[in-house]
Amino acid sequence: MNRLPVRQLSWGALGLAVLFILPRFLPEIRIHLMTEIFIFALFAVSFNLMFGYAGQLPFGLAALFGVGAYGTALVFNHFPGIPLLAALLIAALSGAVAAAFIGFFCVRLSGPYFSLSTLAFQMFLYAVALKWRSVTNGDDGMGVVRPDLHLPALGSISMRSIHNMYYLTLIVVTIGILACYLFLKTPLGNSVVTVREKEIRASFLGYNVFLIKLLAFSASGVLAGLAGGLFVLYEEFVATTSLDMNMAMTPVLMTVIGGSGHFLGPVLGAVFYLMLQDWISSLTSYWMLLMGGMFIVVVLYFQGGLISLLKLDWIWRLRNRGNR
Amino acid sequence: MGERLRETVTGKGMLMGFPIEIYAIQMLHGLVYGMLLFLVASGLTLVFGMMGVLNLAHAAFYMVGAYFAYTITRYTGSFWWSLLICPLIVGALGILIERFLLRKTYKGGHLGQLLLTFGLFFIMGELIRLIWGTAPLSVPAPQILAGDVSVSGMTYPIYRLFILGFSLLVLLGMSLVLTRTRIGIIIRAAVSDPDMVGALGTNVPIVFMGVFGGGAALAAVAGVIATPFLTTYLGMGDAALLDCFVVIVVGGFGSLFGAFIASLMIGELQSFGILWIPRLALIFQFLLMAVVLIIRPTGLFGEKE
Repeated sequence: MNRLPVRQLSWGALGLAVLFILPRFLPEIRIHLMTEIFIFALFAVSFNLMFGYAGQLPFGLAALFGVGAYGTALVFNHFPGIPLLAALLIAALSGAVAAAFIGFFCVRLSGPYFSLSTLAFQMFLYAVALKWRSVTNGDDGMGVVRPDLHLPALGSISMRSIHNMYYLTLIVVTIGILACYLFLKTPLGNSVVTVREKEIRASFLGYNVFLIKLLAFSASGVLAGLAGGLFVLYEEFVATTSLDMNMAMTPVLMTVIGGSGHFLGPVLGAVFYLMLQDWISSLTSYWMLLMGGMFIVVVLYFQGGLISLLKLDWIWRLRNRGNR
Repeated sequence: MGERLRETVTGKGMLMGFPIEIYAIQMLHGLVYGMLLFLVASGLTLVFGMMGVLNLAHAAFYMVGAYFAYTITRYTGSFWWSLLICPLIVGALGILIERFLLRKTYKGGHLGQLLLTFGLFFIMGELIRLIWGTAPLSVPAPQILAGDVSVSGMTYPIYRLFILGFSLLVLLGMSLVLTRTRIGIIIRAAVSDPDMVGALGTNVPIVFMGVFGGGAALAAVAGVIATPFLTTYLGMGDAALLDCFVVIVVGGFGSLFGAFIASLMIGELQSFGILWIPRLALIFQFLLMAVVLIIRPTGLFGEKE
């Protein structure tokens, strides 16, 4: 490993400090928006782990988001009194297990086959969530009561207030994104990029390509499942919308518009997407169309995405796209 | 659905709890849906075989065709006008999309194409939502085709028989064009080796543009003839996209014959799935796809990955 990246760490710490103080100056409705942004930033980062770093486009990643969301809701409803953090752990684990299962079938495919077979699994889960009413309550969805958080040192923290939910989300998402960043720094993380660059050469060199892809997809599943779990906690509700086509589209739009060639591109994309949604959707119903149009423009003419406008490369030297 | 059928038809022979006549009817249902699916999937398969582009927006062409059919039928008062006009409009739309958007992505590899066509699929869905709203729409079948026929105690809607006949006609026309005409030979050659066809002096991009437009028009035809018997609704594109994808995976990537067989398989699977195990009907086709993916990743009739 390299020596400590002091500059990156200090920028990160500064950013976190700002995010910690921010709720004091914001009205409650903005705090709701910020919380949602954190959750989707994590989801988009997990998407970009597969898309930007492993070079595979998992259209159906929302399957894992949905599994995490439904997993959390089911755990809360069937085991009342379960600690909040344990439920989040279950969300992450169920995301990983579902990813390992789906990945087992899909990862051996590449290109469009991989993309669409993950989407097929997502639509399959959507159908299950819709039809299996006795468990999922179908279209009507399930309500969840957000329990209090019990910490050994601090005692019990009420999660009724959105402020506390904001801080919990911020901390969990920061840990998730940091874990993803560190994962990419490990030899395993490097081999994910190696496989993207030249799969045949990697397998000649003795890498188990199938396993590496499966592990990358599972790692992505951990984060997506965690995002799903947080989303249920935040909304206190889960429905088939967490598994539908729009949910599949969301991380794709965020990541591509934000810029898939940079570790923080998806985060910026999530911020931009949700703020624009918040701002425009109150004015017009055309906002999804606007987002779609912007997406097409980025795909055709502007593949760096928004983050390439900011020239932030010197902060995080983790360029994953090379000079393509 | 099974319960209701059990009551309405009183036959002599029974098989697995259902009268034998039911099986004939379900088989026809499956055939009708399978043919419809093939009309949509054939364009997708040809485009994929020629340029390796998996056009996710293709299912949106089907949906656009269905919605235009609603509007045109309302304004002209005739279903037949929409059957004539819709494919022309959607075919032109397909040509424009290929020429001005998709063509830019061929050099960049699969990711750009997937993203672009997924974005287009999304945008077309949004446009439809804004123009036609979210309520399901329905178009009545034309007068001549309304009603039922009865053959030896079984009744069957005439319109479904029309769909079957019409799509068989389209299938026949398509296979004649592909096997008997010069342009068909060029298309088939370009499917197996586009570079060589280009080197021999054919303008492959124009052929491809035509095939893309033709595929879009076929999808629109399917959308038009589907409107009177399936309602036109916003989720129909998603459903068609997934069904088409299952067809392509099962049939083999780029194989037209495979797509035909797979379409009929999916049609029958859905039809009998609903009869036997209504709640799990959706699962069968995914199971089929998973099995094919494991045993034969290139599909039943596919050669190249």
